[in-house]
Amino acid sequence: MRTRLSLAILLALVSAPCMAQTIQNATLRRAQQAFDNLDYRQALTAGQAALRERLTGYERARAYELLGFTYSGMDSILRGVDAFKQVILLEPERDLDPTKTSSKALSAFQVALTQVLVIRQLHVDSVTFVGGQGVVAVRYTVTQPARVVTRVVSGQTSLKIDSTVASGQVNIRWPARLPSGDPVLAGDYNVIVEATIGQNNFATSLPIRISHGAVDTLPHLTSLPGYTYLAETEVPPKSWRPMGLAAVYTGVALAGTAALSNGNLGSSSMREGGVIGAGLVLAGFVMTLKKPAPQPARGNILYNQLLREQISRRNTEIAQENTRRRQQVALSVVPLSRAGGGR
Amino acid sequence: MLEWLIAAVVVFLSIFPTFQLSAQHFSIGPQMIFGDYREVSADLHYRGVGGGAMATVTWKKLSADVAISKLTYKPANDGTATQQFDAREFDVRLRYYVSGPISAELGFVNRTAKPEFEAQSMGAITAGAHMGYLLGPGVHMALRGGLMFGPRFSGGGTISPLGALRLGLGLNVDALRGRLRFNGDYDFQRVSRKTNDGSGELPAPIQQSLGRLGIAVAF
Repeated sequence: MRTRLSLAILLALVSAPCMAQTIQNATLRRAQQAFDNLDYRQALTAGQAALRERLTGYERARAYELLGFTYSGMDSILRGVDAFKQVILLEPERDLDPTKTSSKALSAFQVALTQVLVIRQLHVDSVTFVGGQGVVAVRYTVTQPARVVTRVVSGQTSLKIDSTVASGQVNIRWPARLPSGDPVLAGDYNVIVEATIGQNNFATSLPIRISHGAVDTLPHLTSLPGYTYLAETEVPPKSWRPMGLAAVYTGVALAGTAALSNGNLGSSSMREGGVIGAGLVLAGFVMTLKKPAPQPARGNILYNQLLREQISRRNTEIAQENTRRRQQVALSVVPLSRAGGGR
Repeated sequence: MLEWLIAAVVVFLSIFPTFQLSAQHFSIGPQMIFGDYREVSADLHYRGVGGGAMATVTWKKLSADVAISKLTYKPANDGTATQQFDAREFDVRLRYYVSGPISAELGFVNRTAKPEFEAQSMGAITAGAHMGYLLGPGVHMALRGGLMFGPRFSGGGTISPLGALRLGLGLNVDALRGRLRFNGDYDFQRVSRKTNDGSGELPAPIQQSLGRLGIAVAF
């Protein structure tokens, strides 16, 4: 039951805008049917009759568009152009699908575009940046060479962000700053683009929302990417040095005893030196077999010290940067859905 | 009994608080000593065994060894001596670290024989060099050599300036994380003594070899 109710609500929500964009006028529908049957005369008659009736903006644009297609199909280009000019004035963003439109109608439409002054395809990019360090990209297309003034307006605030004579696509980079240099205040704004040629003018707008947020701070480092601490001690390889030195010391002592002994006193006693020397050689042998004690690795110690200094220095810089960032504001600019067209 | 005593000493040392061991500049312990003594000729040949003690002190670049010993020398089988005697020796060695493995050594040795006329008592100042090397963790060895200056003998006599020499070999092994030290020490002395009873100088050399094996408590 609940599922059916949800489905009904969903259908109602979907069908509402669809009904607003469908042709209700019977005369216009008859004209469309005649055009679809390639009965151009009937389409012209019914289309013109429909324009004399009460139509919605959408229906009126469809009626002129139908006339434009019909005149183009009948090789009446000038009249076709006139009809398309009305379409463009009613719906400046209107574009024809080149895959579904005849080349005659397309060229008539392009000619019409160059003969009316409209601002098309006004677009503001969604962007987030730190105030003062980024820009908001605004772009639009003006169909005729004209003086184009771009403003950002919210209540009493009106900021002129660009004024230029241009034709075709225009790109503006707006830093979103007040004349004082501060970031613009948070709120809903309208980007208004006004084009003027003599008495002719056209304006269009796009609502945007500007919000403020905190600037992300940088995390402190505990290591540098790609660099790891090295062991500050290393075990030297086993060697026979202890055994060799013990043997040398013992040999020197015993040889010295033999050499220094007084010949008148008979052969010298090697018992005492032999016992101590044997103990020494045994200790040297054991030390040779034993795993050597870890020794400080001076190169690694210096490397680690350098790494610690680098990380400390970088963290100091990060702390300073974070202090600065906490005083900044992050601007988020998001375009909102457009309420209406141009005038 | 001895095993119980050793076990008791080990247990006692193992419960020493570590703060008392933080410096470990001092050690002291008993030693078993054995030696060989010869005098004048190959006929006066003695061998002996005894006991003693040794203390060591280390402070910065300075260190000192003090050894006392008492041996009973008995006539060796290859000699003609008939009387045994006791030899008491007091040996002090002061060292100053110089560079690398080398330390300079200064000290004195005094040996007293009892009965007095069975062997020469003597005393001398010693000077020489000490070369130490760390064989491995807690294992030290040393070789030393030097001269004995100005010796005095109970029976008189003189020596030439280079006539009294000394040579030694030492080993120290730490145990129980340095609380206990096993040590071995070899000391050889040769004194080219000469006597003169009015008929001219006669050689009366003295030669002693001492071996010391001991254990010490380190603080």
